[in-house]
Amino acid sequence: MSLLTVDKLEVVYQRAITAIQGVSLRVEERQIVALLGTNGAGKTTTLRAISGFLGLDDARVTEGSIRFRDTQLENRPPYEITRRGLALVPERDKVFPNLTVAENLAVVPSRTSGTARKMEERAYHFFPRLTDLRRRTAGLLSGGERQMLAIAAGIMCDPDLLLVDELSLGLSPVAVEELTKSLVAIRDELGVSILLVEQSATVALGIADYGYVLENGRIVLDGDAQRLRDHSDVQEFYLGHTGSDRRSYRDVKQYRRSRRWYG
Amino acid sequence: MQLVVNILVLASIYALIACGYVLIYRVSRVLNLAHGELMMLGAYLLVATASGLSNSPVAALLLALALSLVVGGMVYLFLMRRMTGEMVLAAVLTTVALGILLRGLILLIWSASPRHPRDMLGWENPVFTLPGDARISLYAGLLIVSTVVVYGALFLFLRFGRWGMRMRAAGQNPLLAAQRGIRLHAVFALAWGLSTFTGATAGMLIALDSGLDSTMVMIGLKAFPAALVGGLDSLAGALIGALIIAAAEVGVIRFIDPLLADVVPFLVLIVMLVVRPWGLFGTREELDRV
Amino acid sequence: MSKPLPAASGHFRRSYADEFRLIETRFARIWATVFTLCLLAFPFLASPFYVDLATQVFLTSIGALALMLLTGIAGQISLGHAGLIAAGAFTAGILFKEFSLPFWVTVPAAAVTGALLGLIFGLPSLRLRGLYLAVSTFALHFVVVYLGGEYETRRGFSTGILVDPPKIFGWEIYAPRTWYLVLLAAAGIALLVCINLMRARSGRAWRAIHSNETVAEALGIGIARYKLLAFVISSSMTAVAGALFAYYRGFVSIEAFSMYLTIQYVAMIIIGGMGSLLGAILGATFVTLFPYLIEGLMSALPGADRLAGSVFAVNYAAFGIVMILFLVFEPQGLVGIWRRLRDYFQLWPFRYRPVGTKS
Repeated sequence: MSLLTVDKLEVVYQRAITAIQGVSLRVEERQIVALLGTNGAGKTTTLRAISGFLGLDDARVTEGSIRFRDTQLENRPPYEITRRGLALVPERDKVFPNLTVAENLAVVPSRTSGTARKMEERAYHFFPRLTDLRRRTAGLLSGGERQMLAIAAGIMCDPDLLLVDELSLGLSPVAVEELTKSLVAIRDELGVSILLVEQSATVALGIADYGYVLENGRIVLDGDAQRLRDHSDVQEFYLGHTGSDRRSYRDVKQYRRSRRWYG
Repeated sequence: MQLVVNILVLASIYALIACGYVLIYRVSRVLNLAHGELMMLGAYLLVATASGLSNSPVAALLLALALSLVVGGMVYLFLMRRMTGEMVLAAVLTTVALGILLRGLILLIWSASPRHPRDMLGWENPVFTLPGDARISLYAGLLIVSTVVVYGALFLFLRFGRWGMRMRAAGQNPLLAAQRGIRLHAVFALAWGLSTFTGATAGMLIALDSGLDSTMVMIGLKAFPAALVGGLDSLAGALIGALIIAAAEVGVIRFIDPLLADVVPFLVLIVMLVVRPWGLFGTREELDRV
Repeated sequence: MSKPLPAASGHFRRSYADEFRLIETRFARIWATVFTLCLLAFPFLASPFYVDLATQVFLTSIGALALMLLTGIAGQISLGHAGLIAAGAFTAGILFKEFSLPFWVTVPAAAVTGALLGLIFGLPSLRLRGLYLAVSTFALHFVVVYLGGEYETRRGFSTGILVDPPKIFGWEIYAPRTWYLVLLAAAGIALLVCINLMRARSGRAWRAIHSNETVAEALGIGIARYKLLAFVISSSMTAVAGALFAYYRGFVSIEAFSMYLTIQYVAMIIIGGMGSLLGAILGATFVTLFPYLIEGLMSALPGADRLAGSVFAVNYAAFGIVMILFLVFEPQGLVGIWRRLRDYFQLWPFRYRPVGTKS
């Protein structure tokens, strides 16, 4: 049985706008899964649906199911989901800017009592750079440091599955490489599965075991990372390889249309 | 000298009440206009426990304080929880409606005649003479002391306590706080409980000092400018704001016209809103958020 | 921007003039006529007690409409309504007492005072929004009430100012029936003014400002101008209502204009339904009749004489509960309930109205 099974998920905002439709995906134990897609494809909505909506989001899962181990997670509040072992590193507003680095980690309630100290040590172990920044206000961190802090706070939740939204957005290639290394280390040392949402397919497929491609709120393609890397459409549209001879724009449109039909 | 003492006593009353406004606003962005009524309810809770436990006055006081904490939490859990995610105005009006409801209930249960919980508990209120010929009553002195204690405790709690940090975190970004596994409802209920607790402390001490009737709500309302002058999301601001308002009020009563007393806090408030709407220590972007 | 078609009636506008009609269908016209006739006949059929109640409803309707214009439609929250009513009442009272000016001078004077105060109340709105604006009007309320109280004590009217019944064209308005007709006319005029303001450029500007100030400004709407306009119009209407109140009661005292009065007016627009003129009137009716309803209920209970002393407190508490219930369970207010009922009957056997029609 898979760790996380999302089945034919449909999410509606404000009782009127359907954001994603029929999205199905699985994450196995100790696996890194990449969710690829362009802007507005529905990646973030999928993650948010898994990690839970608040009343003020005015969004609901209207169909399908999200199963994490043995429990259904649809439309539960985020704090309940986090306590079940599913932590999210959001895309924007990922740290509390007026709290210091140490406080950002300290606010996270521990899943089992008495482990707060150990969890903190673990967070600093994966991101030693944060140790020097303990007393720094989080709002003053650089983009890369902020992302580190966010992931550190994520593993403070002691998750079995870590959801990471837009790991590489707005970061330098050096920082991205460092972060992907830490993610792999987290997976290897803690046995945590990771669901990674990315715009940059190069980064995601570099570390993922399996991948899904999302377009217009539907899954159009999936397979293990190697297969996706070799897939001609993925190469062309997500990895930016044009191949030897340039194809005409008409074929491009053909591709999009066919994907939408069959997806 | 007496003037300074008067200012200090009034300022500590306002500060003790104002920190309730600040706590709730800072954590949940709701302006609690029922704070005056909740404070009065706290004082009447003391009347209730005093009549029940008249032979053990300390227990009565402690029980009343504990009850006020519970009442505050209940208000959130049964009423304000439904208003999260609604328009700010709707939440504020709900607190206004709550205030009216409480006022009616208090009148219904305890009637409008003044009460004197100090006599019920059988305590004295001796007056001390301070150097410089200033006089201060015991409970007025206790008001100053408890203001210092409450502010100190709140500061430490928010700075170093895990739940205090969680309250700050939830105030900054409730969604992220929830995603990190913080129970928002628990945090908000705690904020309401603490706010009612501090307000009730002020209410009880005022009632012990000088008796209690329904005009106490006005004191609660006048403390609101203190919170706003200092900046609605700043505890230190509330302290300074209370000092400013109290100084202005005592000064006006002494030198200009006692009739002005009830308006002065609001005049200061208007000046502040014109000059620096976000308050002395408030965050500037607060204005756009609401 | 064109008006929406009358609710799902199958009625279509055929000429340009149709767009400007106040009442579009024959059915609505018949309805309006019957309703007006009923209102006119009411004082001659009902007992003086009910006539007095209806008169109070008309009076509060004017104030509620004014507040609805400002808060429900232009989105500027005001918690200073009682202060404005007090200003109107005191203008009328003072001009009558000090200069014995007649009715037709004092009421326009109240309107002017209201307009000036509206300008003052409105100035903070240029800088403040939402809560902070509410707070600034809240503070101004206390200032106005203080000034009124100061006048009362300085001049030795500490119990209040007595105001004689007004004379219009040498005709003294004293009998309840006459008051009923006068205030019915006043409320009618207020309603017409509001309807027409809503249909014109000003109404569209206000609604645009309400939904999004920045976008409204980008569309070329003079934010400052229309905000102040909303404050000025609303305040002068409110002040006129205050002046009429002074004459109707024959007595002005600052005691009557507490914060509770403001809350009552705010409750009217919430209970009635934000953003709807009909809501303002429904809310005014509800809130005015509510205490009498409670009193009636309590006297119907067993042991009524024991409860007599606590009527006031029960009123307070019940009012708070009703307000909370509306805020939590029916944010659309009475208008929301009315619309659902009407849609149910109008559209039966269907459930949804066609796209493009509005209730």
